[in-house]
This record gives sequence, structure tokens and C-alpha cells, in this order.
Amino acid sequence: MSWVGNAIVAVLLVAGVFIWMRARRNRLWREAMAALARRRRFALIILGLYVAVGMLDAVSWVGGGGVQGVAASEARSVIDRIFKPSVFREKSYSAPFASAEFVGGAALTFPGRHVLGTDILGDDVLYKTLKGIKVALLIGGLTCLVLIPLALLFGVSAGYFGGRIDDVVFFVMSTLASIPNLLLLIALIMALGKGTLQVCFALGITGWVGLSRLTRAETLKLRELEYVQAARALGVSHPTIVLRHILPNLSHLVIITFALLFTGLVLSETILAYLGIGLDGSWGRMIDQARNELSRDPVIWWTIAAASAALFILVLCVNLIADALRDILDPRTLRERA
Amino acid sequence: MLAYIVRRLAYGFATVLGVLGVLFVLFFAVADPDEMAIRAIGERASPETYTAWKHNHGYDKPLLLNPQHSWASIGRYTDTLLVEHYERMLSFRFGRSDSDDTPIWTRIREGAGPSLSLTLPLFVLGLLVGAALSLAVAFFRDTYIDRSVLVLCMLGMSVASLIYIIAGQYVIGKLLRWFPISGFDTDPSMIGRFLAIPILIGVLAEFGGTVRLYRTVFLEEVNRDYVRTARAKGCGEIRVMIHHVLRNALLPIITNVVLAIPFLFIGSILFESFFGIPGLGALTVEAINGNDFSTLRTIVYIGALLYIVGQILTDICYSLADPRVRLGAEASG
Amino acid sequence: MLRTTSRFLIGALAFALSVVACTNDPYPGADQRRKVYYTSFNEAPKSLDPAVAYDTAAHEITGNVYGTLLEYHYLKRPYTLIPGLAKDLPKREKAADGGITYTFELRPGLLYHDDACFALNGKSADGKPLRTREVVAGDIAFELMRVADPKVASPVLRKFAAIKGFLEFSKRLRALRRASPNFAGQPAHVQYRRAGGIAGIKVDGKYMLRLSLSRPDPQLKYWFAMPFTTPVPWEAVQYYDGDEGRPHFRDHPVGTGPFRLAIYQKRLRMVLVRNKNWYGVRHPEWKAPGATYPTEGSATDRKRGRLDAAYAGRPLPFIERIELRLEKESIPAFNKFLQGYFDRSGIISESFDKIVLNDALSPEMVARGIRLEKSVQASIFYVGFNMLDPTVGAKAGDRGRKLRQAMSLAIDVREYLRLFQNGRGVVAHSPIPPGLYGYDRTYRNPYSRFDLARARKLLAEAGYPKGIDQRTGEPLKITFDTGSTSAQATLRYQYFVNSWRRIGVDVEVNATTYNQFLEKLKLGAYQIYFTGWIADFPDPENFLFLLESSSGRKASGGSNYSNFSNPRYDTLYHAMRAMENGPRRLETIREMLAIVERERPWIELFHDESYVLSHPWVKNVKTFGLSYPTLKYLDLAPQQRARLRASWNQPIRWPLWIALALLAAFIVPGIVTFFRERQ
Repeated sequence: MSWVGNAIVAVLLVAGVFIWMRARRNRLWREAMAALARRRRFALIILGLYVAVGMLDAVSWVGGGGVQGVAASEARSVIDRIFKPSVFREKSYSAPFASAEFVGGAALTFPGRHVLGTDILGDDVLYKTLKGIKVALLIGGLTCLVLIPLALLFGVSAGYFGGRIDDVVFFVMSTLASIPNLLLLIALIMALGKGTLQVCFALGITGWVGLSRLTRAETLKLRELEYVQAARALGVSHPTIVLRHILPNLSHLVIITFALLFTGLVLSETILAYLGIGLDGSWGRMIDQARNELSRDPVIWWTIAAASAALFILVLCVNLIADALRDILDPRTLRERA
Repeated sequence: MLAYIVRRLAYGFATVLGVLGVLFVLFFAVADPDEMAIRAIGERASPETYTAWKHNHGYDKPLLLNPQHSWASIGRYTDTLLVEHYERMLSFRFGRSDSDDTPIWTRIREGAGPSLSLTLPLFVLGLLVGAALSLAVAFFRDTYIDRSVLVLCMLGMSVASLIYIIAGQYVIGKLLRWFPISGFDTDPSMIGRFLAIPILIGVLAEFGGTVRLYRTVFLEEVNRDYVRTARAKGCGEIRVMIHHVLRNALLPIITNVVLAIPFLFIGSILFESFFGIPGLGALTVEAINGNDFSTLRTIVYIGALLYIVGQILTDICYSLADPRVRLGAEASG
Repeated sequence: MLRTTSRFLIGALAFALSVVACTNDPYPGADQRRKVYYTSFNEAPKSLDPAVAYDTAAHEITGNVYGTLLEYHYLKRPYTLIPGLAKDLPKREKAADGGITYTFELRPGLLYHDDACFALNGKSADGKPLRTREVVAGDIAFELMRVADPKVASPVLRKFAAIKGFLEFSKRLRALRRASPNFAGQPAHVQYRRAGGIAGIKVDGKYMLRLSLSRPDPQLKYWFAMPFTTPVPWEAVQYYDGDEGRPHFRDHPVGTGPFRLAIYQKRLRMVLVRNKNWYGVRHPEWKAPGATYPTEGSATDRKRGRLDAAYAGRPLPFIERIELRLEKESIPAFNKFLQGYFDRSGIISESFDKIVLNDALSPEMVARGIRLEKSVQASIFYVGFNMLDPTVGAKAGDRGRKLRQAMSLAIDVREYLRLFQNGRGVVAHSPIPPGLYGYDRTYRNPYSRFDLARARKLLAEAGYPKGIDQRTGEPLKITFDTGSTSAQATLRYQYFVNSWRRIGVDVEVNATTYNQFLEKLKLGAYQIYFTGWIADFPDPENFLFLLESSSGRKASGGSNYSNFSNPRYDTLYHAMRAMENGPRRLETIREMLAIVERERPWIELFHDESYVLSHPWVKNVKTFGLSYPTLKYLDLAPQQRARLRASWNQPIRWPLWIALALLAAFIVPGIVTFFRERQ
């Protein structure tokens, strides 16, 4: 299954370059991006690092296996090859940069090599934290990738066509929105199963309603704009109007909501991990497994600190960027500039 | 006005039916009654015991169409799980738990008290602290106090609630030894010390989001014309903040508040399981771990019901307070 | 501004005050002077029905609430039965037709604890509904019939099969219920009466109970020391049916024990209080063995202070209340023990090295006055060979036997215990654990030693020098089937594999889930396996039956997973089973053990050992190797406990003051500048 990860990375890179080139041609977007780079340089750099690590972990291939605990047919990513987890495993806990085991004081096999220490099975904590980046990006990114087109479809149809379609979509949205988020999430996962795809799907279903409402309200407003009405009078087909006039004007909403949803989803996953239904290898799982280590005497703090810090930094960066984006992409500012 | 209320209620009822439909698909169409029976009674019971269990818990009928009745009779369509599910839920006959046979209504009644004893003080305190702090920040706007509080809020919002709980328990309970780490007691003289840590942590965790939200609302009001007029008339700044800004910003705040009330009953899943409080949140976690679909169904249903009721109340209050809503609805309806 | 600031200050003051008054004591202050025993449980009991409850959590309650005809002496080892509710140990008589009769005589004047269900019997003389009644032998017969009742689904039904008519009664009930729904709707005691009761159980008058057995079963009497045979009032079973807001009988015990269940919030807290109707409380003058602190014991007991003059011969119980609190996770529960909020506790493996050093308590623990009590459990853990296998089993004859002996010598049990059990456990030389009749402390099994040289020699003699089969030239390969895939279990199996590899035998672990493991056992497709057995009752029969041929897995689905079948062993077993303890029995057991030693169907590893910590304020602690309630013998020193708890749990307040000071230092300049600028 390694080709799936490789394919996704390739697609993302190509799509990213494509969008970048299209956006640069538009003056508004160029200015918006410049403003963002100016105000949130640090956050952007850190986020870029996270994405880079995530991609490095998604690209994997088979080869060089059959030795040192690695199966011959196992696909390993760039991160796996750098850290070689099966080689550099200790027996059990060890503190960051330590040269002796935490329990018992026996000498480590690789003293001083574990920057963030090792966990109960002897795995390097830095390695596990970096692996968690891919999972976090998966939760936020994959779910949004499914969720946003869905929300747009429903929201725009409801706002644009109005009438019966609007009533039906609005009813579906109210019904789903009436069920408290966490409970709906739990119900979906209990019913569908606890695999990665199912969890992302469930997270997506609980998230699309908010965006849908926003796009519906915005589309209702956009529909009444003069040039849209003119286009309709001229006989331009509905899909063309939606693609050319409505969607581009919703892009700022989509971007801001994406950023907010991303953090919300990643934080929700930690709760799911506590309940036992999280994703394998996520920071939520790490935190849940390491929870009891704080009660030990002496305290083992490095696993939970590493996972919490990684999560905190990612969420903070995205929050800061989203905040700045909201200011920059405020329709009033955009229209003023135009 | 009456027409609006009736329409709103009817729409709310339709939503309830929709919610029940979603629950039906999730919990009946996907679950396997035989597996649930085995999980509940064990593997060595007799076939009659399994059939009896399935009957007692309402899993022995077909989903949508009952072929046992003839085409013409109404029983073909009504003697099904779908109809029975709607019937039971709408009449509040929740039946018994799938994992240990206790009546679900009893468990809910027992759990509501502890849940409320945590969520109500948490909510009130969070509201007061948040409102007071954001009012103060709006008062001190554009000073370094304002900016540092904003930074704090941003930092606070970025920390997962799980981390707040774990770190809070560790610091306040284990290191500082101020209060018991977990546990619960219904006795009024004892309940305070058990709720102290969860309430402290809960307020801290919400603080970031609440202050930011209310600060925005207050700042919007502060820059309005009537406030400028009041100031020009010579009102002291404090009086302006409290009498004018707070009063008028109350509407969006109240909307948030009323919508949050239903969730007070459901309890907090995280807090209750970490701190050993036997409320509805803990009941939910137990149902998840025990694959207890009937209890889970009921809790989700009650949560949705309370939310819908809350929304209806909010809408009605809004329409009473704001004539534009009422008139607008009547004009288009 | 003044008002806002003053409001803030008041709020901060209130909070600070609450912190000043704070405490992490989870128990009300009024209880500090009382003799209340605090302990934890980690899972709500499934059922408190005495015919059904078989897990530790339930047994904590049922063992203390339900009295039994017989009990175990608290201090004597090996475990000795003493009379409890019965006047004396049962009388054993041989009947004319070769059967055996046991006669129990119940003490007169025993009462159930007060309960609303007895209102079914009407009103007392002064018009108030009856709240209790006398215990009669018929109540014990009723409970035995409940155990036989298929609807109750008791897990120990088969253990009473020796009683005449026991299994037939069970079948009769099922048939009658199927035939007539009217019958099935009657209350339980009516159904039992109409079904004719159990042929072998006769109630004579109010207090005599006669059991007729179709074959000798000396182990039967041990079941009368367990709640499965407690007297149960029919009123409780009928009244507590779960309808109309009444709890079900499985959540509401009505018993004759030293305590009664006062509060049952099974997801939070359970409370047992002293039962004022208990015969020990009402009639201390009887000096009943089950209600008086023992006066005899061993020298160790005397040394440990268990035979203190202050307690010997005094009436029980000493504690007035037992509080059980739910603690789902073991680490916080252990921390609460260290804080003094639980009175006794086991040791979690995460903290083991800090608590126990070199087999004794660490100085830190000793300084706190904590005591460690070790007790060997009546259990055996072993690696077994499937005797039906052509390579390692009986079919391989001499070669097989030498191979099994060689593999026994290759395991260093002491090292295993050190690595995986923190050194806890007793090396096993035979299937019988310490504390049981037939255990010989001086006996050393020659194959329980760790001797690689001899192992290799035996392996060569068996025809597999250095692990290569002499006849075929192929290396010897054996599979090791296990029922757990957890990381910890895998490490343990790996230890065995590594040990055998050292003498050249290649063993491959085949790990599956427990259910799949049981499937494999059913099919007979395995060579070696690892398992353990924990005693139901302290008689050697409960261990030796594991090697008897009719208990074979293949033969009857029984617990003899090795399918060991030795005719001489079987004969000895049947003889030993029917004997009472004495020199003849000892001789028989010794011969059986000699067979096991030679044939090596098992590699006996160790008997599990439990380490229990107690605080200095708990008196008369002695751990039992069986699941048996002993709380009535304990005593507490509440003043000492309150004092020590306070000294261990002082709240640390200075960080708060510093934080408030820093906050003030941060804000005040801003406020001052702000107002100055405004003015």
C-alpha cells in the first residue's frame, strides 16, 4: 500500500504548484499572500516544516529489508530509514539524552542517542512524535478534503437554487446539527467501526454542517449581486455561474474554515484516542498511553511532553495563521482594495 | 406570533423525527443482534435464553417490512423495528441496558444529578469569569494588558482539553496536594473538594475561547455611535461599559448561553471519567466500552432533544425580543 | 473602577480562602475517629447472587455478607476447617447401600439481618411488619436447589454432582418449565417444592441437614466454606425481583454474615456495616469458633503480633464499617494508598523496585511503618507436554521421557521469576502448592534444578545430541502454542524459547488469541503449552486431578491439557480422593508425585506469591492464599491513622501566593498608567 502514500504526495505537490501559479496571477491573492507572509512568518515556517516532515513520512518504498528486524517486504518511509526504529530500540524507558536505563540503571545500547528519550517498549520518542505529524495532517487534511466539497455542494445548491432543494438541505443540516458533536461522532464510529477511514469519515460528517450553513448564507447574498443577475439574464448556464462567480467569492470562507476545522479535528481526535477509538500512531494515542506515567514515582514526563508540545505547536501555528487570514481576507478589506 | 410558535414547534418535531431516523440507521441497520446477545449473556447459555434476551431488548423483529403479516394488513409495516423504535423513543420508554439489564431511565436519573453538579457551577463560573475578564479587557483596550491577554487566549485555545486535565490533575492534585485527585460524594459538605479541581481546570480550558469571543462582541459595541454619544454626554467610562455596552452585548451572549444549557445535562465525558464522577458522561463512556447500543442510543437522543428544545426556546425568545425577526417571518411565511 | 477592582479582590480572596481551607482527604472529617476500613475495587461486581458470584470483586461483598456452615481457621496452616454457622464439622456416615451421608447441624437462634423482604411473612405482635426471621436448614437446601437451577446458571453446578438426585433435579426443572408456562411463572421456592426437591438433600426438623452422596467426595465439604452454600431466605429471592423499583436479588444480598451491605452504588462506592443480628454480636457468650479471635497459631504468628493478648479469644468483628471505593486505574489507587487513604494494597509493578529491595521493604517504606505480608497462593504455573504427541509424548517412550527431562533441566525458574515477577513466587517442585496437605517443604524435584550440562547429556541419551535427531539427521523442531499475543506475554515465552535453544532444541512460538488456543486444544494439535491453575479449595485433589486420565482434554474436554494417562497414577488418584487426611493418604500422594517426577508431563515452574502492604494502623493482618474473607479479624487504630495521614498530606500553598503576587505586579502598573493617561 505504499504507492497510495506516494501518489497522494505527488498529487498534493502538483496541485500545490498549480494553485500557487494560478493565485499569483491574481493581484488580490498576491497581496493577501504577501501580507500573510509578513505578519506570520514564523508560524508559516514552522507549519512548512511540519508539512515537509509529513510528506517525508508519506513517501515510502520497499527495499533494503530482511535484516535487523525489518521484514523484506516492509515498506519504509524516509523517516523510518533515518531513524531505523528496529535497530535503535532499547529495553524500556530512558530519559532524554540518557546513557542508562530509567528503571534499574543498566547501560543503554545506544547511550546519548535518544534526544527525547524512549517509551515503555524502548522506542525513540522523537521518532514516534515525528510519525505522529503524518497522522495529524491526515486527520485534518484528508477529512477536510472530503468534507469541504461536500459542504460546498450542499450549501451552494441550497443557497443558489432555493425552494425545495433549500428546504431539504436545510432540514438535513438541522437534523445533523441537533445531535451534539461528540455524541454523533461516537455513534458513527461505534456503528461503522474503528478504522482510519471510518474515523475520518465520521469526523467529516460532524464537521460539514457549519461550513454548509456559512456557504448557504453567503451564496444567498451572492445570488442577488448585480453581475450574477445579469449573467442569468444573459442565459449563462447555472454550472458556469456557480463556477465562475459564486465559488471564487467563497474561497476566503473556505480557507478560513479549513484552518479552523483543521485544529478542531486534530483536537477532537485526542478525545477519541482517550475513548479508545483514535487513530494508530497519533499524538492522542501517545498521550493516552503515557497518561499514567505522570503518576509514577519518579515521574516519566518526556513522552507526554513531546506529544503535547508537538500538538500544541501545530495547533497554535494554524490558529495564528487562521486569525491573520481572517483579517486579511475580510470581504470588506478585499472589496476596498478592489 | 402564535403562528410563528406553532410553525417553529412543528419544525422542531420534524427535526426530532429526522434525528430518530439517523439513530435508527446507525444503531439498528449496522448492529448484529446475535453478537450483542452473546456479548451480554456469555457463550454457554441456551438458545432459548438468547431468544428471550433479543425479545426483551427489542431486537427480534425485522427492520422495515415484516413478512409474517399479509400484504394487506397494516401489521406488515408497523410490526417492525423501525416503527417500534420510533414508538419507544417518542413515548420515552427506553427499555433496559444491553450490557446489564438495568432500566436505562434509572441510570439516566441517577447520573443527571452528579453531571449537573459539575457542569452547572462550571458553566456559571466560566461565564462570569469570561464576561468579567473580557469586559475589563475591552475597558483596557489597546494597552499591553489587552495584548497580553489576547496572546494568552491564543495560547490557551491551542492546548487540547485532554492536556489541561492531565496536567491539572498532576499539578494541583499530586504536586500541590490541594484537593483529592478524583472521586465523588453526594454529601453537600464533601462535594466541594471533589469538584474543585475539575471546575478550576474547566474554567481554565474554556477561558481562551470565551474571552476572545466576548471581547469581540464587546469591542463591536464599544465602537457604536450610541456609546460615543453617552461618553460625550459625560458618562464615566465604567458606567458606559456596564450600563450600555454590557446590556446591548447581552443578546449574542445570551444566545450562546441558552444553546449551551442542554449540554449541561449530558455532562462532560472527559471530566467525568478522569475525575471519577458518576454522571451521564461516565455512563456514555461505559456504554462505549461495553458496546451498549441501547444506552448510547438513548443518550444521543436525549442530547439531541434537549438541543432542539433549546434552539426553539432561543428562537422564540429572539423573536419576542427582536421585532424584525417576527415581522420578517410573517412577511415571508 | 473601585467597584470592579474591589469585586476582583473579593473574588481572589474567596478563592485564596478556599485554597487555605483545602484538603485532599476524600473522606468526611467525622469518620476520622471511627474504625472504618478503606479499600478499593476496580470493577463493579457483575452479580452478588451467592449461587453465581465467582469473581474477586463480588466475593469481597458476598464473603462478608453471607455466612457459611463451615469456615477456615484464620491462623492455622495447612488450612483447617472450623465450624461457622454449623455447630460442628459434619458427621460422616456410611450408608447401607455403600453411599455416604454427611449431616450438618445448624446452630439454633441465628437471625438474618433486618430487611424489608421479611414483611412477606406478615406482622409481628405489635403490628409492625416483620424485619427478620430465624435461619433454618431449609434455607440451605433452598440455596442448593438454586445452584442446581439451570435458570440461575451457577458456574459450580457440576461440583455437587455427587449428591444424589442433584443433576436429575436440574433436568426435571427444565422439563417442567418447558411443559407449562404456568409452572414457570411461579416463585422459585414454589417451583422447587412442586418439582419434588433434590432426592439426596433431606431437612430434618429446623436445624438438621442430611446430604446423601452416591459416591465418596471428601472435597465436598470445602464447598460449604464458600458462599455457594450459604442459607438464602426464599423471601429475598421472591421480593427482590427487579420490578416496581425494587432491586434485583443479585444487587441486594440478604445474609447471615458479620457485615451487611448498607450502600451499593456499584460504580462508585460500596459500604458494609457491622451486622447487629450476627450471632457473634448477639451471642458473644457462645464463644463460637467463627466469631471469636483464635487463640492458637504458629510461632510466626506470635512474632508478628497476631496472637496478642488484647485480641486472643475476643468476640468479632472489631471494625464497624468497610468502605470500598471504585478506582479504575491501578497507579492512582496505589498513590492513594501511599497517601494513607487506603489501608492495604498490593504493589504495582511500576513502583516495585522502590518498595521492595532485596526481598525486603525499602527503608523508605519501613520508616513509614508500612508492613509487607507475603503469601504464597494456592496455585501452580507450568509448561506442559501433550502426551499424545509422537515426538514429545508417551508414544516416544524412553526417548520422549528423556527429552522432557532434559527440557525441564534447561529452565532457570529463579531467573524467570526475577525477570518477570519482580522475584515474587516460589519455585515449584511438584503440582501441590505450599499450605496444602501433601506439600513437602523438604522435597526437591531433581528435574527442577537448573543444570545445562546434565540437560545436554540427557538430550544426547534421548537420541538428539546437540538437538539433531540421530536417526534422521534433522534438527529437532517443537512448537509452543500460547493463548496470548500481548507484548508482555511474548517476552515470557521468548525466555523459554531462549532457554531451550541453549541446549540445542529449536522451539517455535505459535501465539494466538485465547479462544483460538482453546480451539487448538480441542483438536489435540499441539506439542507444548504454558498455563496455570488456581485452587478452588485447599485440598491436593484440586491439583492432582489435573493429571488424571478421565480429565483429559481429548478424552472429555477436561482440564488435563497434557492428556496424561498413567494407569497406576489413576488408580492411586481414585484411592487418594476418597481418603481422609492421614498417613495412608500421604503415602499415596507421595507415590503419585514420584510418577509425575519421572514422567515429566509438566515442567512445574512456580507457585504465585502475593505481596500485600499494610499501614501500621492495621492490626492482625494475615493474608490468605485463597479467595477468603478475613476482614472480621482485622482491627484499626484510627487516631494513629489520622495523625499519619495529616503529616503525609500537607497541601503546598506557596506557589499560589507567588503566582498572585506576580500577577499583581504585572497588572497594577498597567492599570495605574492607564488611569493616569486618562486623567
